[in-house]
Amino acid sequence: MVSVQSPPAGRELPYARVLLPPAIVMAAATGAAVALVAGPARIAVGWCGAVATLLVIMTAAEAVRRGRNLRDARAEHDRHTAYLERRLADQNQEMVRLGQEILPATLHRLSSGESPGEVIRQVVDADPEWRQLPDPQRDLLRTVLRIVEREENMRDSAQRSFVSIARRVQAIVHQQAKELREMEEDHGRNPEVFDDLLRIDHGTALIGRLADSISVLGGGRPGRQWPEPVPLYSVLRGAMSRILEYRRIELHSIAKVNIRGISVEPVIHAAAELLDNATRYSPPQTKVHVTAVEVQTGVAIEIEDGGVSLSEESRARAEGMLERAKAGTDLQDLGESPRLGLQVVGRLCATYNMQISLRASAYGGVRAVLIVPSEMLTPGTAPGLAHGIGATAMPKAELGAVDGPKRTIKRRRPTSPRIPASVSMEDEVPEVTEWTAGGLPQRRSRVKVPLAQRYAEQAAAERAEAAAREARSAWGTPEPEPEKKDEPEPGLWVEAFMEGLKGDPDPTAFIQKTEPARVEADDEGDLK
Amino acid sequence: MTPPQRQRRQPAEKAPPEPGKKPGEGKIPERLYVLTGATEDGDRAELDLVTLIVARSDAPQSATPEQAALLGLCIAPLSVAELSAYLNLPYSVVTVLLTELLTAELVQARAPIVRQALPNRSLLEAVMHGLQKL
Repeated sequence: MVSVQSPPAGRELPYARVLLPPAIVMAAATGAAVALVAGPARIAVGWCGAVATLLVIMTAAEAVRRGRNLRDARAEHDRHTAYLERRLADQNQEMVRLGQEILPATLHRLSSGESPGEVIRQVVDADPEWRQLPDPQRDLLRTVLRIVEREENMRDSAQRSFVSIARRVQAIVHQQAKELREMEEDHGRNPEVFDDLLRIDHGTALIGRLADSISVLGGGRPGRQWPEPVPLYSVLRGAMSRILEYRRIELHSIAKVNIRGISVEPVIHAAAELLDNATRYSPPQTKVHVTAVEVQTGVAIEIEDGGVSLSEESRARAEGMLERAKAGTDLQDLGESPRLGLQVVGRLCATYNMQISLRASAYGGVRAVLIVPSEMLTPGTAPGLAHGIGATAMPKAELGAVDGPKRTIKRRRPTSPRIPASVSMEDEVPEVTEWTAGGLPQRRSRVKVPLAQRYAEQAAAERAEAAAREARSAWGTPEPEPEKKDEPEPGLWVEAFMEGLKGDPDPTAFIQKTEPARVEADDEGDLK
Repeated sequence: MTPPQRQRRQPAEKAPPEPGKKPGEGKIPERLYVLTGATEDGDRAELDLVTLIVARSDAPQSATPEQAALLGLCIAPLSVAELSAYLNLPYSVVTVLLTELLTAELVQARAPIVRQALPNRSLLEAVMHGLQKL
């Protein structure tokens, strides 16, 4: 400050010390002048010289004093400058510390859900080194945290509203799907209506997947829960049913494993997104091949398409997208990338610990490998097999819904050894198995003859038949009708009888000879 | 926010025992159109509810589980309606599956034997003669 107020002093300082000898020179000069001038002027000159010398000395003394003051002031100023520079450096360092250490730490704490005040107490005040944080910095920190929290809350609420809208869509879609399934059963007999229903069903499933994607990207849980384990084959077909071009998907060899109920939905969704990508980015006439093999860590689902090969650069980009998605994407970022699928897959993989990798395929396209960890698998058998049917096992054993027909094996006595090819199968004559003594045809079920008598008749008939069979060498010759033939009167009914024999409608007669234990179709009763 | 529930039509009378009886309902992730997927819609063979189906060979490796099940069931002739009931699949789905199997010549369809509306003339005559003999 001093230096600022007296700039000329700086210039005078070098002269100050030099001024003392000139004062002596001045006195000497005065003395010399006194000695040189004439007597009467001597006193006046002497006085003038003395006064001048005095003045010079005073001036010099004042100059020196000022010079000293000036030097002190300069030194003081230098000290002050150094101090200020040090303060500045400290301040900088503190700002750096605030920016690089304290702020990240507090933001991290904030993101775990603590309030700003709490964060400052926990992070800043708890640390002995950070405790002396000056108040302005403290205020700054608090303000920053408050702003960040508010922004975070706004984003959260935006995402939550997205998710809740998606949830509602999902709920409607699920109900729609359920009702469509019922309608498909109700109108299953009308192919036109049925095909239209399937079309609507397909569209609904596509909407459902979109809603699922929004929900996943918004950080929501999967929309559906499957109460029981589901076989992988069914899961993959579930994924197929959620994409547009499911007809192009070919399931090849699918490992026979079952997915745990709670993990079914993420696997379906991730697989559906990958299948959708595969069909979308490959020519429409190519097939997409899906295989699933068991590996050490779980099951690897491979999806190969015949599309454009993945260059190293695009692969890196796709993987980068997956990585970013794993780290967590904002819904706001999605505007730029139309490829929703990989984002969703990345999110699902991060949440459910699945692994995804994209490689160039042997078919020339992309080969996506999704590894489902073994925690998501369950060793037990799944009750909900593919539409209630075992994937490979004998269907009988696993018909969960309806038991197979439990019927007694019908003993077949072919009345005619072979059905001639010429015989038309068009009509069926009521099966006349017994005849009354009067020649009336009688159906067995309506018979009113006492049981014992019927047994006796039956036994007699069987004995006669067995004897006749033994008498014949082969079945090729039709059995003659010995005793009935010569009866003259009911000649017409013999014809009817013969026709009944020839027109034996049972088409299973051949099969029954080789497979007697199988079920028959014709005594099932009413079908509807 | 959900739309009003649809009331099912036919089974309304028999509905009460059904909810508990149908545990598989809604637990199958795949939709029916995936089963019929291979063929374009509207492409069905002339099959009646009572057409009898017989398998001609075992299921090949490439068959879907439903087709394998169909072939397993059809070792003995079964009507389409029965197949539909056992597989718990609608009739239209079963016909599509059967159409595929028919074109692959894995099954054989056989028109049902229609019970004649009128009794055979000769049978009636036989009855008449029998009655006259009494």
